[in-house]
Amino acid sequence: MTISLTRRRTASRPPAVQPSGSAGSRQWVGYAFLSPALLLFVVFVAGPFVAAIVLSLYRWDMLTPAQFAGFGNFTAMFGDPLLYRSLANTFVFASASLITHLVGGLLLALGVNRLKNKVLSYFVRTSLFFPFVISWAAVALLWKYVLDPSFGLLTYYLGRLGVDTPNWFNDPSWALPSIIGIDFWHTIGFTFVIMLAGLQTVPNTLLEAARLDGANARQTLWHVTIPMMSPTIFFAAVITFLGAFQIFDPIQIITPQGGPDNSTMSVVMYLYQKGFQSFQVGYASAVSLLVFAVMMVVTLLQFWGSRRWVHQ
Amino acid sequence: MGAPVTGPAAPARRRRPVRPARVVLGLVLLVVGVLMVAPLVWLIVQSLTAEKAAFSLPPGWLPRPFTLDNFAGIDGLIPFGRMALNSLQVSLISTVGSMLVGVLAGYAFSRLRFRGRQAILLVMLSALMVPVQTTVIPVFVLMRNLGLVDHLAAVWLPALINVFAVFFFRQYFNTIPRELDEAARIDGASHPWILFRIIVPLSGPAIAAMTILAFETSWNNYFGPLIFLSSPQHMTLPIGLVTLQAGQGGSSVVVFAAITAVVVPVMVVFLAFQRSFAASIASAGIRG
Repeated sequence: MTISLTRRRTASRPPAVQPSGSAGSRQWVGYAFLSPALLLFVVFVAGPFVAAIVLSLYRWDMLTPAQFAGFGNFTAMFGDPLLYRSLANTFVFASASLITHLVGGLLLALGVNRLKNKVLSYFVRTSLFFPFVISWAAVALLWKYVLDPSFGLLTYYLGRLGVDTPNWFNDPSWALPSIIGIDFWHTIGFTFVIMLAGLQTVPNTLLEAARLDGANARQTLWHVTIPMMSPTIFFAAVITFLGAFQIFDPIQIITPQGGPDNSTMSVVMYLYQKGFQSFQVGYASAVSLLVFAVMMVVTLLQFWGSRRWVHQ
Repeated sequence: MGAPVTGPAAPARRRRPVRPARVVLGLVLLVVGVLMVAPLVWLIVQSLTAEKAAFSLPPGWLPRPFTLDNFAGIDGLIPFGRMALNSLQVSLISTVGSMLVGVLAGYAFSRLRFRGRQAILLVMLSALMVPVQTTVIPVFVLMRNLGLVDHLAAVWLPALINVFAVFFFRQYFNTIPRELDEAARIDGASHPWILFRIIVPLSGPAIAAMTILAFETSWNNYFGPLIFLSSPQHMTLPIGLVTLQAGQGGSSVVVFAAITAVVVPVMVVFLAFQRSFAASIASAGIRG
């Protein structure tokens, strides 16, 4: 992952050496190779993006003719309590996801990296990553049963431990935390793999040098391993946040109405309801641009941050 | 289960005093691993248990009495086979297609010179910041005008362009020495020949990683099919599963059988290609 950020950065610069063999090749060859990608890109990415901006300036229900609304949709967003609610929920979800994933992923990677037993190490790595390859649809349905108040797996064992379990998804104060927990189970394998890959790029010579200088395990961790892993940690933070900010699948599957008292309503869930259930296409487009704005700010922060305080 | 834990401690004993910390670490990670797979084991066990005994308390960890009847019940609720074929069709077309489109574009960006090359690359790269939710409404309008809503094409067509794969292939191709294809050029080889006979064979790991990632994403995709597909015979598995829970009078064991039927093949594929899976995630780490 250390290479990744440097690679990424060179992407925007022209390559140092221009292909010398291309002197004879004509322009059209390049366009020919690029044309499928370019055509699809214009039709399904760039065009729709511009269209989303245009649509956000209209009131339209997909049936009657669209009406120009100027910035009406955007000003309406400011006075929309449900949008604030969904934004707040999304930030709670994304922050909880960020913290639990980074801490959990790093600790698990450090732990697994220290395991000497091959079988145990394989088992832990596999079981951590297993849930991630399963679709959210299957995961969400399964967990509805795991948390079922009458015969659920977790309900039963927590009960045996003397813990009185709430009615997870129907309790406004527990619905979102439940989804945060399920998301952790489903997605931690991803962060774990990234952290493990990053950990393995820390040069052994540095660790040995630190040890020879008399550093104990904790000092080595704080002063060598974590600084060397900072690009990975930073990257994992950005990816986790971006993924979490777009949370939709489990929310729509487990709490199709946005949960009790809108307690699980996320921004994308709200956008989906506005666009595809109440057919307020213009307003939904305005909300979708808000999602884009957050993505853009976070991505730009990544560029800025990786230069400022990430060890290279 | 004690055996694997004593393993790491045993060799250490020869060199240093016993390391109880390492044993504790092994135990903790063992418990974490067991907790992670427990819900999946429970899922599979219940799906293999006869209906009257399933979901008993305390939870059963062996399918007793064992039965496969629950799986036979799935087709009475959703056209499972049809949905599986739909999923396969969408995933195969979008994966193969996007890899082909990506390889061609990656080659253009890496090896060919044409006006606006850097500008086009930059525009495509910045599109990585545009989330699918921003483009989905206009794409839906487009599909509606094309009469493609509730057709599988509405799901796989937009997936043919994978900007991340284009960029990823370009980066990888840049690491392949130019002398190789220049020599072939001098010998009169055409660009398609160079790409598919020299560059692609040398890019095995990159293409494998991207293919796995693209297939997995498409196979598990929920958002796109939810928006574009509505009739059961056109749905993909994730959407089909969720309609199943919406209550069609089927018993919970049958729902579990259906989830199992979706999950187990993925698990098997994952176990077979575990290394490439992890590699694809690690390389996906390049995405920002």
